[in-house]
Amino acid sequence: MQKSIHQIGLKRLSTWVLGIAVLFLLVGLWGFWRGVQLGDARPLISWLLGLAFWLAVGIGMLLLIMLWYVFGSGWSVILRRQLEHAMTAFPLLALTFIPFLLLLWWHDSPGLLWKWADPQALLPGGEHVAQDALYQGKAVYLNPLFFTVRAVLFFGLWSFLGLAFRYCSYRMDSDPRRQWADWPTYLSAAGIPLTALTLTFAAIDWFKSLEFHWFSTMYGVWFFSSGIRIALAAIIVLCAFLHKQGYLKGYYNQAHRYNLACLALAFTVFWGYISFSQFFLIYHANIPEETFWYHMRIFNPIDYTHNSWYYVGVFGLIAGHFFVPFLYLLSYKNKVVEKRLLFISVWILIFQMIDFHYNIVPGRLPSDNAVGYDVREFSITVFDFASWIGMGALCLWAYLRSAAKHGPIPVSDPQIQKALHYYE
Amino acid sequence: MPETLVKPYALTATFSELKPLFAAVKKLRSQGFKHWEVYTPFPVHGLDKAMGMPRSVVPRFTLLGGVTGFFSGLIMVWYMNAYDYPLTVGGKPLASVVYPFPIAYELTILLAAFGTLFGMFWTNRLPMHHHPIFNHPTFSRASDDRFLIAIEAQDPLCDPETTPKLLEQLGAEGILWVHDS
Repeated sequence: MQKSIHQIGLKRLSTWVLGIAVLFLLVGLWGFWRGVQLGDARPLISWLLGLAFWLAVGIGMLLLIMLWYVFGSGWSVILRRQLEHAMTAFPLLALTFIPFLLLLWWHDSPGLLWKWADPQALLPGGEHVAQDALYQGKAVYLNPLFFTVRAVLFFGLWSFLGLAFRYCSYRMDSDPRRQWADWPTYLSAAGIPLTALTLTFAAIDWFKSLEFHWFSTMYGVWFFSSGIRIALAAIIVLCAFLHKQGYLKGYYNQAHRYNLACLALAFTVFWGYISFSQFFLIYHANIPEETFWYHMRIFNPIDYTHNSWYYVGVFGLIAGHFFVPFLYLLSYKNKVVEKRLLFISVWILIFQMIDFHYNIVPGRLPSDNAVGYDVREFSITVFDFASWIGMGALCLWAYLRSAAKHGPIPVSDPQIQKALHYYE
Repeated sequence: MPETLVKPYALTATFSELKPLFAAVKKLRSQGFKHWEVYTPFPVHGLDKAMGMPRSVVPRFTLLGGVTGFFSGLIMVWYMNAYDYPLTVGGKPLASVVYPFPIAYELTILLAAFGTLFGMFWTNRLPMHHHPIFNHPTFSRASDDRFLIAIEAQDPLCDPETTPKLLEQLGAEGILWVHDS
């Protein structure tokens, strides 16, 4: 196939992006290394935050591909190729998980990030992890060996699904047989429940188990809804950029944008619904094993004054991540005017990062006070930016390399005409 | 019935092709007609835009219903639980936005749905048991193989002399007056 001018441009851009990725990842890794040396978990959390964000984007995109296949959706066909390009990011994100495995297996105090990983570690209150009743109950699941096996399984499954969808779609470009549209549909029907389960367990393993005492049945759904939200926002941002560059000109029109925005609104409501439900059920039941998690995010442990997380929760999440996008996206004009939609998509991306902060960063730091701990306060560090930009650039590099090789839309898809002539 | 008592409802014209229909729609719109309607056997993409039809106002009723529901939910719980008969349940505060939220949220949805439904009925002037356009002798063809344009007699631009001629120039086929009996 003759390479278009756009594709040559993308190739050149991808080299730059790779340079940025390597530079920032090195800064993030240096932070990781320093954190391990000094016994400070915060730079490791930065690395985990970057991974959480870009993994959520990837999983959201993977789920959208599969949803579109199983519902035989026509309008989305012109967008699907952009998501398929991004699927090559999973193996790369798997590489960024390796430092955590090194920490678990080869460091003297493997419990630096996940306390359950080190039975000898001390908990606030003077108990060892091994003496903790909840640890003893959960150790069958939360142990380094099973954890590693699961991580390999999760990344393996997501990478396999992503690469399989890519393969079918790219084969169809040169070989327009019906099977290349049918097989991914069957695979999607199996892939949706599998991805739902793996993303739930991944969220439990990597983020929820930071506080292994906690119980919540909503956590996987929270990660899922966050993932779909930022995947949609990322698609809108990406398409706005491509549209401006003339890459999707004539394909991507107002009706496609309207549908994406409607989905963004729907998942804003869904995110709000499940996030509030999680809080509300725990608040209502008022059981200490569950309330401590929100307690840490509202009060200072000694004097019950509000800590920084209270303001992050009220202004960042309730107002910023729910009410603002919800009310904004109710308006038809805000959904279809490209610049307006771009604004709220960037907004959602930023506030989802704050949501990840809220879920991942707070923890108990040893202290001399009466309860034996202080809550780690809200902060944004250099390493947060470094891993967020580094991993994002890595994903973008994977996307650009694929976009430089393959066409921007699946030209032989049975539904491509329907997608091109899609009206509101 | 004496001829003089029957009011004309609309001047109608049919088209069998989309192209002349769109040309006619554009012409009528540019002439400044306000009270007119096009009946088609299937949804025609872009016709509403060509006619210059504004977007539906129903979403405003939805929003109004939703906002009313949200605040009435909060006020209701405050009135019952904190004002009329103060009652502490499970150590929770008497007045709060946290525990009545499900009530406010459910009422938001309920009244937003009512707003949508009744707003739609109101804007469409439903229920309507009869419409004068059904007096057209072959109106059923607008559900089959003809596009039908109806220019209402109440439109100030609808003139018994010039408007039929205008429609004829635009390639309309059966031009006739429909009466409101």
